[in-house]
Amino acid sequence: MLSRLVLVSGHILKNSGSFGACLVQASRSFHQSSQSRAPVPPLPEKGGKVRHGIFPEELFTLLYPKTGVTGPYMLGTGLLLYMLSKEIYVINHETFAAASIGVVIIYGVKKFGPSVAAFADKINEDKVAEAQEVKDQAMASLAQGIEDEKKEQWRVEGRCMLFDAKRNNVAMLLETNYRERLHMVTNEVKKRLDYQVELQNLHRRMEQEHMVNWVEQSVIKSITPQQVQGIWSLH
Amino acid sequence: MIVSFFDQFASPVFLGIPLIAIAIALPWMLYPTPSSRWVNNRLITTQEWLINRFTNQLMLPLNMGGHKWALLLTSLMIFLITTNMLGLLPYTFTPTTQLSLNLGFAVPLWLATVIIGMRNQPTVALGHLLPEGTPIMLIPVLIVIETISLFMRPLALGVRLTANLTAGHLLIQLIATAVFVLLPMMPVVAILTAALLFMLTLLEVAVAMIQAYVFVLLLSLYLQENV
Repeated sequence: MLSRLVLVSGHILKNSGSFGACLVQASRSFHQSSQSRAPVPPLPEKGGKVRHGIFPEELFTLLYPKTGVTGPYMLGTGLLLYMLSKEIYVINHETFAAASIGVVIIYGVKKFGPSVAAFADKINEDKVAEAQEVKDQAMASLAQGIEDEKKEQWRVEGRCMLFDAKRNNVAMLLETNYRERLHMVTNEVKKRLDYQVELQNLHRRMEQEHMVNWVEQSVIKSITPQQVQGIWSLH
Repeated sequence: MIVSFFDQFASPVFLGIPLIAIAIALPWMLYPTPSSRWVNNRLITTQEWLINRFTNQLMLPLNMGGHKWALLLTSLMIFLITTNMLGLLPYTFTPTTQLSLNLGFAVPLWLATVIIGMRNQPTVALGHLLPEGTPIMLIPVLIVIETISLFMRPLALGVRLTANLTAGHLLIQLIATAVFVLLPMMPVVAILTAALLFMLTLLEVAVAMIQAYVFVLLLSLYLQENV
């Protein structure tokens, strides 16, 4: 936090005043990296590899070709013994205080180190998981929207079939109605025609009867008395 | 030259350069700047979480006026805790053992709280000098006592921190010297003393953190009264 204050105030001071701009431009020639900040280079997830908590792994890889696996350890032991024997480092009361605090620090790191690291990882993972869930939910709702849309389109197809069925139904009703009326008309016309036929039949019958009667009457009238005598004499 | 146990508290000056300046700047150098990334590495994540949590806790009893002090109090806390803990390492110099530094923190901050209180709400600030429910006869005496108590606060803040840390370091040095001296003569006693030293170290770690916290907590309490 303090560092940010210093940096921000330094930046403002640098850019203020007439010589501020020149100062920024002049120092620009010393910049090694590119001026743009995007894409941001990724932060390393974990710190550099260390052996025994303090010594970076690069030291061991550096010494390995020349001195093998035990090289750095020999170097460390040698240095330590050199400093002790030449009394460059004098053992005094501080050594014991150092040993004491060293035990506390090493115990603390060994015991609580993994849990603190896991805690920090969990915080980050929760952040990422939250954002991921938002994304997943958005995707799921959009996919659901697609499904619903497809279903609606299928329903619309069904609606056409429904309309066809209804149209057929109506057509059938109209057809039935028309046929009924045609049937009725035919019947009426037939009745009229039958009447006429009966009338003609009646006429002919009546004419026939009339003619028969007339013929009978004429025959009866034409029967002379001698014909009557003749029929009676036969018997 | 007589070597005494108090030499460790002498403010170191090398070639005319007061090294206490470097010692005070050291905590700032040790903490990485929180980056503007969304997901950070473990160190920055833990640091951010700790600072957020601590500031949240500290600002709970304060009203909006007190929240202006968040940056100051949190950075003070981090500074004190770091200097105290770094002082437990061997051959280090702890700036907070110097009374000048601690009074330099305590007096201006305490005075700021008092002046804020007197300026914004003088009645309430003066009212703090009289606890509730005092019998009428005792009022004058109590006002005097409370005023003295008020002026004792910065001294108490500064001296508390100084005394705790100085005493702790002194004890560590003494018992470590005892171990060192006893080791050739009576090894068993030396081992027992070493065990004592170990427990004292644990105590000192706790004291380092607690004293820093108490300093900042009391300041926030004085602020709460006055803001």
